[in-house]
Amino acid sequence: MSDTPRVAWPEYARELTEPSRAHDRPEALDDLRVLDLSSGNFAALFTSSILAEFGAEVIRVEPPAGDVARLYSPDGVLHRGTGLAYLVEARNKRHITLNLHAEEGRVLLARLARHADIVIESERPGQMDAWSIGYRQLSVLNPRLIYLAVSTYGQFGPRAAAAIPDYDITDQALSGVPYVTGEPEGQGPAESSAPTKQGNWIAWYVGGAFGALSVLAALHWRAASGRGQFIDLSPAEAEMRFSDAGVVWYHAAQRIQERVGGLHIQVFPYTLIKTRDSYSFVAGFSDVNFTGLTNIMGRPELKEGFATTRDRILKARQLHQELEKWSSGLTSEDILTRFQDYMLNKRGPGTVATARLNRPPDTLAESHWWERGVFQKVEDPEYGELLLQAPPWKMSATPPRIKWACRPVGADNELVYLTCLGLGKEHLQALKASGII
Amino acid sequence: MADGSPQSYFDWTAQLFDRSKIFDKPEALRGIRVLELTTLVLGPTTADFLGELGAEVIKVELPPGGDTMRYVTPEATYWQNASLGFFPENHSKYHIGIDLHAEEGKTLFRQLAGRSDIMVENFRAGTLDTWGIGYRRMKEANPRLIYVADSGFGQWGPFSQGRASYDAVAQTVSGMIGITGFPGRPPILCGIFIGDWFGGLMAATAALVALHHRDRTGEGQLIDFAQSEGLIRTLDWTWVRQGLGGRDREPEGNRDRALVPADIFPCRDGYVAVAAARDAEFKGLCAAMGDEALARDPRYATLGARQRPEHMSTLLDRIRGWAGKLARAEVEAAAARHGFAATRVATAKDKHDDDHLRARGSVWEYEDPLYGKMVEQGPAAKLSETPARIKWAAKPVGWHNHDVLTRLLGLSPGRIRALEGNKIIGQWADRPGAKPPAEWDGGARI
Repeated sequence: MSDTPRVAWPEYARELTEPSRAHDRPEALDDLRVLDLSSGNFAALFTSSILAEFGAEVIRVEPPAGDVARLYSPDGVLHRGTGLAYLVEARNKRHITLNLHAEEGRVLLARLARHADIVIESERPGQMDAWSIGYRQLSVLNPRLIYLAVSTYGQFGPRAAAAIPDYDITDQALSGVPYVTGEPEGQGPAESSAPTKQGNWIAWYVGGAFGALSVLAALHWRAASGRGQFIDLSPAEAEMRFSDAGVVWYHAAQRIQERVGGLHIQVFPYTLIKTRDSYSFVAGFSDVNFTGLTNIMGRPELKEGFATTRDRILKARQLHQELEKWSSGLTSEDILTRFQDYMLNKRGPGTVATARLNRPPDTLAESHWWERGVFQKVEDPEYGELLLQAPPWKMSATPPRIKWACRPVGADNELVYLTCLGLGKEHLQALKASGII
Repeated sequence: MADGSPQSYFDWTAQLFDRSKIFDKPEALRGIRVLELTTLVLGPTTADFLGELGAEVIKVELPPGGDTMRYVTPEATYWQNASLGFFPENHSKYHIGIDLHAEEGKTLFRQLAGRSDIMVENFRAGTLDTWGIGYRRMKEANPRLIYVADSGFGQWGPFSQGRASYDAVAQTVSGMIGITGFPGRPPILCGIFIGDWFGGLMAATAALVALHHRDRTGEGQLIDFAQSEGLIRTLDWTWVRQGLGGRDREPEGNRDRALVPADIFPCRDGYVAVAAARDAEFKGLCAAMGDEALARDPRYATLGARQRPEHMSTLLDRIRGWAGKLARAEVEAAAARHGFAATRVATAKDKHDDDHLRARGSVWEYEDPLYGKMVEQGPAAKLSETPARIKWAAKPVGWHNHDVLTRLLGLSPGRIRALEGNKIIGQWADRPGAKPPAEWDGGARI
């Protein structure tokens, strides 16, 4: 501490990473070209979104009628012909069409793959290989190619050949996370006392992020070895990797984690409690942090009845009632104010955390996210103004960014086929006439 | 084509990805050193994902208690004096204990950062800057350093100062809990630390992006990653719909308004998820249900028709009735036969016992030198040339002090003893979570 900083840390960090100035800085992945051939798969689409946010040239290859992913939209709503989910994961991508069901289309794909660093696909395992455009064939043409295949059961193993289409809900189910999420049997109506998935497509997003991580690791190794590789990714296994002590607890104690609703078996209090106007999450689970929580509640005597971590976990339901006795008279904002006062003014020991349960509009109303560029209103030349979640990382040297939101089906055919394969307008018209593009 | 191939596709992939050959292959991130100063799950997973891919991870903890996660374990029960909650995010790491409140401890830490490629921390914003071991100080000593600052709310901005965060805070503020669960029921937490795990994965991904930039330019950088912002990113169409129509997104239980049909149904021996969004898959589902006329019913024949809420409800009731009479495996088999998707809602035992997952290394059994046989969730993605792997399980606080300080900083045994004497470096407290199993013989520390 001999050199006391001149500028306070938050100002310094903001100056370095301010996302609104991202466009003044270089892009980390602008030396890469990606072909995303995936079909109706938001894990694959999220992988290519991440690569595109960091500057890779991502070319979406869709069938001539467009990827079915463009139709996956709540209540079937389309905005200028495209579904809402696709509008989120088409960012910075070029869009071409190519019919892989036709031999001529596959020949063109193989030619394009010579110019690519990364190919992403989500066909059923073995389909691309049967078409002679799988990793086995493309890697002969381009040994530096990194090939990412997304599927539920993967490309090998006893169930790999049981090729089912890959969906988020089936991935979530296999991961085991819904089994431990939700209200236990008998806590409410039968229909809702059941394993519960996350409301969003979390397995697809987890799978997509693992896809990007794996591709980047493969790139690092390629820089040294000159060789590409085949990456086999299951979004189900990706989310399974996250399942806490699940498998090791079974190994150690033959115990199976069950659902506990808003409680928690590893830490308590770490829970949602009812407030006058909503719900709040509160945490204070280690001994010292629980002391902090009971101080804020004005109930220091609770420490005696719930003295150890184990007491608090095993008597969670009882402690939860005590918490709600206290919180039911307060608003979520009152609770946050009391926690912040305790923390910032150092009124006692322990680190405690709280948050009001946000509905999405509540999150959108908070200035923090807007200041940090987490949300962005993108003015897209084709789709108008869209509110999008921006790439979440703030980076000093090579920040990610959104350049455009989406492109119509086949909008970049001329540009891409000309720059990659030297195919001019007449050639493209012939291909169009024969249903290839 | 298949006829002309020397080998069937699945024989070829079985060989290419053979689990038993993993240790005969190179590691993608070999030679990359990660210095980790983190606790709980977000920070440790950031480093763990890099470690699985071959990076050498040095985990620095404050002795003698170490990482708080050493005391977070199911029902507060320990196994061989270890926290079961600590294993899943701490593999193949070198554990060292340094007192970073002491000036000499800071100096040691700075020396280690000078020898590292990536540093990961998850303290509240600005804490390490105050301690003189933050990004500002480290980049002076090592301009190639990639510095990953994980947090709840970021390094700057209104919520960043003084506000503590955990996984569930991220679930709460991001809106994720608001769109999860059944309508009219109390809100529920995700059964796992989803915001931490996903955050760690996103942060590790950015670290590799930065490594690519460094490979090209030699320049390191600061990465500010907030786990709440990571979860916001995953809320698919929530925000764009709000922006276009101003409509809030309510919880829907297990059904999916965008992909129809997709839901979770009770069956005879558990629960099963079913999805068939493409029309051809839906036809297959109807055939499996023995009701091919359903696929021609104009209310259901196309995805667009099925997406209408009133049609979705009646259709899901129909599938619920069918699945309820079957066992999980029967629904799965019907899906594989008829080309739609169905999978069981897996329990921990289902995963533990699954031959498929074991053949793939997604359930990973290995022999640890200290804890013996381990069975855990294994690396997710399978890389054919540089497969990810687990080498050993998490170790007690300060387990590798001598190894790391001698190997990287060239400290002599006498110097190390002096540092121990002054409590600058240290090892485990005599307490479950921190210390070795009772049976440990005091011998070799691998």
